[in-house]
Amino acid sequence: MPSFACRLPILAGLFLMAALPAQAGTSVTQAPKAPSALAVTKPLGTPPAGVTELKFRDLFKLPVGPKGLEPTDKLLGLDGKRVRLVGYMVQQEPPVPGHFMLSPLPVVAGDADDAWADDIPASAIFVKLPKSPDLVVPPMAGLIQLTGTLHVGLRDIPAAGRVAPAVLELDVAPERVLLRHAKSVAKAASKAR
Amino acid sequence: MSRSPLLRKALPALVASVLGGTAFGASAATISRLTPPSELFASGNAAPVIARFLPGQQFDLQATVQPDVGETIKEFVFYVDGQAVRDREGNRTSIVTEAGPAETCVGADGKTTGKSGCTLVAGLPANTAVVSLRAFSKGAPGVHELKVVAWQNNGERITATGNFEIVGIGEGNGQVAKNIIILLGDGMGAAHRTAGRIMAKGYAQGKAKGQLAMDTFPYTGMVMTASLNSIVTDSAPGMQNYVTGNKANNNEEGVFPDDTLDAFDNPRVEYLSEYLHNLQGKSLGVVTTADVFDATPASMAIHTSARGNGTGIVDQFLDDRHLTGLSVLMGGGRKWFLPNPSNSTSPQPANGSQRRKTNDYVLPADIVAGWGASPGKLDPERDLIADFQAAGFAYAPDKSGLDEAFKFGAPKQLLGLFAYSNMNVAYDKIAGRRGDRTVVDAFGFPDQPMLDEMTDAALKVLSKNPKGFVAMIEGASIDKQAHLMDSDRWPLEVIEFDRAVAVAKAFAQKNPDTLVLVTADHECSGAAIIGASMKTAAELEANPKLGKDAVAVYEAAKFPKYRIAEDGYPISTNVDHKMLIGYGANADRYETWLPSLFPTKDTQQPFPPAQSPANPNARNEGVGALITGQVAGDQAVHTGTDIPLSAYGRGASQFTGVFDNTDVMFKIGRAAVAGERQNSQQ
Repeated sequence: MPSFACRLPILAGLFLMAALPAQAGTSVTQAPKAPSALAVTKPLGTPPAGVTELKFRDLFKLPVGPKGLEPTDKLLGLDGKRVRLVGYMVQQEPPVPGHFMLSPLPVVAGDADDAWADDIPASAIFVKLPKSPDLVVPPMAGLIQLTGTLHVGLRDIPAAGRVAPAVLELDVAPERVLLRHAKSVAKAASKAR
Repeated sequence: MSRSPLLRKALPALVASVLGGTAFGASAATISRLTPPSELFASGNAAPVIARFLPGQQFDLQATVQPDVGETIKEFVFYVDGQAVRDREGNRTSIVTEAGPAETCVGADGKTTGKSGCTLVAGLPANTAVVSLRAFSKGAPGVHELKVVAWQNNGERITATGNFEIVGIGEGNGQVAKNIIILLGDGMGAAHRTAGRIMAKGYAQGKAKGQLAMDTFPYTGMVMTASLNSIVTDSAPGMQNYVTGNKANNNEEGVFPDDTLDAFDNPRVEYLSEYLHNLQGKSLGVVTTADVFDATPASMAIHTSARGNGTGIVDQFLDDRHLTGLSVLMGGGRKWFLPNPSNSTSPQPANGSQRRKTNDYVLPADIVAGWGASPGKLDPERDLIADFQAAGFAYAPDKSGLDEAFKFGAPKQLLGLFAYSNMNVAYDKIAGRRGDRTVVDAFGFPDQPMLDEMTDAALKVLSKNPKGFVAMIEGASIDKQAHLMDSDRWPLEVIEFDRAVAVAKAFAQKNPDTLVLVTADHECSGAAIIGASMKTAAELEANPKLGKDAVAVYEAAKFPKYRIAEDGYPISTNVDHKMLIGYGANADRYETWLPSLFPTKDTQQPFPPAQSPANPNARNEGVGALITGQVAGDQAVHTGTDIPLSAYGRGASQFTGVFDNTDVMFKIGRAAVAGERQNSQQ
């Protein structure tokens, strides 16, 4: 069938797959690079044993049904299971201690959420740091990979004033990485002063 | 917010009525706004008359009164031609003063701060009062004097004078336009129409090989599009000016501006739909390719000073259908109809809802009493689709659902919500129908109807009312894609829109008591057909940085040729020596003269595809040639250029020459109420 589209060389990401570094998307202020243990710079291998790969595109059924978005069977089946998810840390103002959001697109979340839809996709989820409830994770640029236990269902994080379809409770290892990252950024900032 | 019924006392009213039409004593106190707006009030000049109404058309009277220091306003009376306007039921009036906490709402200078939680806008004396009388109307044609008299506690009077006009619709032959169809190509200037024609019909030796449906309309005029507060309008006044007969401020629809912060308490003016529903029992149909809360569709029925208040806007569509006769509502915007018990929208709730208390509505009592409007409720948890269905509307979530709704004949009422926000554009919908479902699948809505199909469905439903209807059919993304300077997508929007025009024209041919108007609300982007590519498509693809070196002008442009498929759309926009578009109201962009696989990002979509470029100044960055713009920001803007209006059917002959957008209301009123002396089709 004929098509209008001239297939210009574009970045070949798939819908909500977040498989490649940020392209011409929402402008995001420059943030420090993600720790190498989390940064995704090339295609990942299979996840560790006991961990299932979950992609953002697998969160909701497509095409959309007659009313609202609906979770996929895959998402529902992973409730309480360990998963690996690749996405962008949402730069949220103000940040929420012990939590941040992971999004398929690089976006900034302001606190002025009064009228029109903002840019945070519906599939963005919360990431919870279970052992560091007071930690404010500094912004990280680029794709990151996270593993943890998935809790499916509408989650309202009052401190964030936001809701998400699921929460990823981080494994110990990535949480430690984030803790070190936060200390490192704080140290650098202190030196800069 | 303090709202007290007006306490009328016989003596002041008598005194004032005796003094009506005379000058009152000087005072430091003042009236800083008198509504409806007038030059008589603003500058002392009796002309031009700003506010005009049809006989019996309702509107609110309002004044912002700034009393002397230490005084408050205790009562007020409006006078029209020296006669006091009575609020016989005692519930259509109000006095609104600053009711928020003084420490927040009043600054050290004694002026209002306009902060969140306060009542009045910033910069007014703290004792300012906004006084209103709702739902006034007058039948006698002519210019009328409007005077307001307000009394301070100390008995001092403050007064101001303005004027308004009741436009007589005259006597016709009784052959009225029973059905009114307004086809609104949002942002569609003359260049957009021309581009659609070049692409859809082609030219040979200087002559168009065919006409757009809108080209075949026998009468065309030029419309001045300014809003109340700017030579350059946005889509809210751009539409509502046509169907209220009055100018609104940018971003405001169905209301005059005021000095309170509440976006739903502004002084109202009755819409054409409300006027003709009240007068003749007509139905209303609103069809758009945008989100149905968008400015143009909302400006057919909704009264608010904030066009972004989606929750309240869509609620009012249903809640006030007894005022407007709403029977058809179709477009995108499902996100406003889904329940959101959490009242939090970012990221969107799991079902994608955007409902929120902060943009919902509750009306003050005087509006409810005066207009018979529903009071409203802050209810993000509301399942509005279910409420529409409970009210008797058939619901269609996609093209298949739309067909299903007509399986046993046209439903009595119809709600179609085919996308979460704006629908996909014709370029991508048609690609999907031809088998390239990349974009529509990515948006999650692969089965969206085209505008001509929606128009056909709407007219079938609306024509069930023997008393007639008012319909607004909007090609919304002519504007949206022109903002984005996507020169491959908006011409197809024009073609899609014109196919809807053809449906409406065919309806009018079968139903000669129908008036069809094709116009725009404003021009968008300063679009101009600057020539054609001197390169083939392959050459452009090989060298997308050519920029202006690819532009053939004058005779070098020749006549671009597009092949049209059986579905009525070009097989490809990426033809050799294609038509090239320039923009006179543009922001910076990178131009390759080539189509983009994905549409530029729509920030209102709950789940925008990752591949969509963020904006035109990021699209093709590093690939195309930088074209610097004349405006800031990252999109092209509306312009103040006059736009064409074409008319067909009963009453169409009125629409020639150059006229103001507000004139359209009165021309329609004449056609619908009095009838024309001749049928313009004959």
